[in-house]
Amino acid sequence: MKKLGFGCGAILLVLVFVAVVAAIAGVRSYNGLVGLQQNVDAKWAQVQNVYQRRADLIPNLVQTVAGAANFEKSTLIAVTNARASVGRVQLDPSKAPTDAAQLEQFQAAQGQLSNALSRLLVVSERYPELRANQNFLGLQAQLEGTENRISVERGNFNEAVQSYNTAVRTFPTMLFARMMGFQTRPFFNAQPGAEKAPSVSFDFGNSPAATPAATP
Amino acid sequence: MTVIPSAAEWSGGRLLLVVVALWVSAICAHAAEALPPKPDRYFNDYAHVVSPNDALRLNERLAQFERETSNQFLVAIWQKFPSQSSLEDFTQRTFQSWTVGQKGRNNGVVLFVFVDDHKLRIQPGYGLEGALPDITCLDIIQNVIAPRFRERDYTAGLTNGIEAIVAATKGEYQGSGRTHAETGGATRHLPIGFIVFLVVVFLIIATNRSSRRRRGYWFNGMGGPYIGGWGGGGWLSSGSSGGGFSGFSGGGGFSGGGGASGSW
Repeated sequence: MKKLGFGCGAILLVLVFVAVVAAIAGVRSYNGLVGLQQNVDAKWAQVQNVYQRRADLIPNLVQTVAGAANFEKSTLIAVTNARASVGRVQLDPSKAPTDAAQLEQFQAAQGQLSNALSRLLVVSERYPELRANQNFLGLQAQLEGTENRISVERGNFNEAVQSYNTAVRTFPTMLFARMMGFQTRPFFNAQPGAEKAPSVSFDFGNSPAATPAATP
Repeated sequence: MTVIPSAAEWSGGRLLLVVVALWVSAICAHAAEALPPKPDRYFNDYAHVVSPNDALRLNERLAQFERETSNQFLVAIWQKFPSQSSLEDFTQRTFQSWTVGQKGRNNGVVLFVFVDDHKLRIQPGYGLEGALPDITCLDIIQNVIAPRFRERDYTAGLTNGIEAIVAATKGEYQGSGRTHAETGGATRHLPIGFIVFLVVVFLIIATNRSSRRRRGYWFNGMGGPYIGGWGGGGWLSSGSSGGGFSGFSGGGGFSGGGGASGSW
């Protein structure tokens, strides 16, 4: 009788110990995941920030360029349209997207705007009037700086998503992540052709073919 | 994050495998491209385009600037562009690994010069983007530095460029009168976890002593070498600035890729 009672007590003690260890591990995993997720959201806000910065530069740029004598209208229209379509896929700036398709759509719209802008800058080379315009040169410097900021913040965002996804997928956090509804987050893919250095072509007849077909 | 709770459930061999895998992947990640090591001073003329006296003078100017404003302003001059990637990508990653600027303020700025390539870039941290917008950086490059560099007068170009950047950024922050290196750098962020660990070890030793068990000796044995290991690591040495120049120690600032590039 006494022996049996002692055995039950020992088993109970072990069970309590295991439960406590599991609870501690669960709390730690949860806290870690929340921190990583918040980091992802913070980096996403930065990404949105720099894209917004670029969008804000465009009206001024378009106005300046349109002032140049007989500037190619088609390039200007492409930029204006691309900016409008960027405005249509606005995502929540305070929370990183959870849906890969959503992010892809955002990325496609922004990519189209990037193409339209770089084409505008290439075309502007043919207008000496613009090359001498201080306002235009200033805008160009800001635009280049913004493109660089975009690539930096996208890189930071991808890093944050990577460490979050790694935590969600690896043992032992994985066990708790599934239970508590933490899912992996999508990240930016490299732009098609981004692994190659951009080549500046002066053969303008062919350039529409060079831009990837992002429209359906 | 530690994996202590899970370690008990894992067999030693499997754990070892995971540790080795993590270690190998960490090495692979770092092997991508070696970045230049952290500089030990503010003015780093690796290409020797400026006389040692001028280099020392400019270094002290930049150290004094950090004392007055807490802004960390570095100059790095290389003979050749040392990377396979783009100028902006290289300067961004270098800035980040040097952690230029104070933590929280992000008030660093680096002037990069590549002599053979005739290229230069001014890159501010987040906290100086307001004082040094891209357009101001471009203006300083094109109208202050590049004209002197074209005449091969590097000393004048750098001196004037440094003064222009100093003038643009001096009103942003208030300095403490000392540089980050002089305040002892790493001592400020002593690991809290380590202190907690020491307290726990102390408590364990104390309770074991009082209960007069032999096991107390074992804990003592564990505590000894661990503490010794940390002391040997030496955070006390980081603030030293020997050799007659003011040393630089990165404050932990970030950059978002702002600034402008140019050529001469």
